[in-house]
Amino acid sequence: MWADAIRAEAFRLSKSRTTWFWSVFFAPILLLVGGAISSIVIDANATKMAADPEAPPELTQMLSTQPLDLGQAMIANAAGLSNALVLLFILIGAATVYAGDYRWETWRLVSARNTRPNLLLGKLAVVVGLALVAMLAMLVSGTISDLIQAMVFERDLAFTLSLGDVGQILLLAGLCLLRIIQFTMIGLLAAVMTRSLLVALFVPLVLGIAQFFLPMQVLPPMGFLPDSWLSVLVNPGGALDTLKTLVRGGPDAAAVADGMVLKAWLSFALWTLIPAAGAVAWFNRQDLSKE
Amino acid sequence: MSAVIETTGLTKTYGTVRALDGLSLSIPRGGVYGVLGPNGAGKSTLFRILLGLIRPTEGSATVMGGAIGDPASMRRMGSMIETPRYPPYMSARQVLTWLSLAHGLKADTTRTDRWLERVGLTEAADRRVRGFSVGMLQRLGVAAALITEPELIILDEPTSGMDPPGIQEMRALIRSLAHDDGLTVILASHQLLEVQRVCDRVAIMNRGKLVREGTVADLTTTGERLRLSLTPVDSAPQRAAAILGDRASTDGTAILAHVPRAEGPALIRALVEQGIDIDEARWVGTDLESVFFTETGAVQTPEHDHVG
Repeated sequence: MWADAIRAEAFRLSKSRTTWFWSVFFAPILLLVGGAISSIVIDANATKMAADPEAPPELTQMLSTQPLDLGQAMIANAAGLSNALVLLFILIGAATVYAGDYRWETWRLVSARNTRPNLLLGKLAVVVGLALVAMLAMLVSGTISDLIQAMVFERDLAFTLSLGDVGQILLLAGLCLLRIIQFTMIGLLAAVMTRSLLVALFVPLVLGIAQFFLPMQVLPPMGFLPDSWLSVLVNPGGALDTLKTLVRGGPDAAAVADGMVLKAWLSFALWTLIPAAGAVAWFNRQDLSKE
Repeated sequence: MSAVIETTGLTKTYGTVRALDGLSLSIPRGGVYGVLGPNGAGKSTLFRILLGLIRPTEGSATVMGGAIGDPASMRRMGSMIETPRYPPYMSARQVLTWLSLAHGLKADTTRTDRWLERVGLTEAADRRVRGFSVGMLQRLGVAAALITEPELIILDEPTSGMDPPGIQEMRALIRSLAHDDGLTVILASHQLLEVQRVCDRVAIMNRGKLVREGTVADLTTTGERLRLSLTPVDSAPQRAAAILGDRASTDGTAILAHVPRAEGPALIRALVEQGIDIDEARWVGTDLESVFFTETGAVQTPEHDHVG
């Protein structure tokens, strides 16, 4: 029955070209075009920029003559698969999936034949699939962008990727996927509670922005340091960034405070499971005839 | 005759409003069953409870022998509640494929095309539904209700928004589904003439309660009268009325004798023996509209061909 819900939802999503364009392909295209333009602009001003003592390390690395290691670049790209741009555009697709049946009033037909938790979890599974495709598109786009960069700066290419590196990419991608799902979960709850696509879109956005700024701007003056329980619990995005830092290792990982892993997982679980359970419970009791 | 739907004391309240008030109803298998009632009678509430969209406040109901929401029972039922809306970017064929998948069936072009043909949408099968008229959406809704080959379908106002030829086609389809395909069709409609022509049995509801139930034939022959045109017109009606007593009424031009059919010949003989000439004698029935207005207490106006 859950499989039926997934198949039906996937079929419907497959027919919505607008959703595919905005939630899967737009961000990678933007990354590709933006990356190519910035490479060309930087190349045109390379001499001046290289002489700038305050140039960021990314720029210095870009302008270096060392070979570009595509394997290592892939690890960096994998770590960024849940960046703000990806989150924003996947959210469009997720909100469309979550609020779709309220918009078209098709719950009346579909919900009579399947259990409500199955139907909602079917939507969730399809959003996971959508996120995976979007992440893959971003990874491919990032790699092509790196190749364009290497071409523009006339850098040689290298490819080193150990088994450990592959594991690291998978772990980072997995954490990014969790972050995307967690981010859309508030959209699921908002869609069920309000039956509105726009609310499903904007509530996670506004909340996400608030969660980002709270631990940096609001909580420190109140005595809550960035690694305090409250600061970590209110910011699941930051919590998963901490986990990604640990996966990547190096000096940044060593600087992560003790106990942060537990706090990070709790923060993630809090912002994922509670909205999901809330959405299922609410949907289970919902009067679906008022549409 | 086994029942496809049984409700016992079904009640649904919204605040202080009782949308359904202890409704007990048994809908037999086979044929077309009409549910009539003015706005607010509780028809849609009943359907929504049967489909598991809302929960009753009190009472119970079984659908195809199972409790409401029982997946095995619900799989044997299809429905169309009011004008359906579908994702506008999908074609009619894709909508049916999608719903087939949602109902656990394989995507089967033969099946979808067969139902599109039955509802008259073959030509529009690959057109996106965003361009569909209300009538086309209604047809697609009926096809969607039938795509799982159910034993029972519930149709709420299936001809709403359709033009007269479309209404006729839909009427024929509903009868064919019941009498050729063997489905039980439960139909709610404001169009009383349509119900009279299509349904085998009807339930009349008012204020959440069942006020009358039976076959269309029974309801429209109950209260059957013998209409007598008598001469001489100046005295015969009064004399006939004297013979009939409180069993007589008039429609303005003739005497209406409220007697059982079996007593008709004896009455005619008695009138003739009293020297009353009978120009015309015929049995007149009541139509469903009259029954409806009598039972629901709705006000019938000359332009009434449906209940608002």
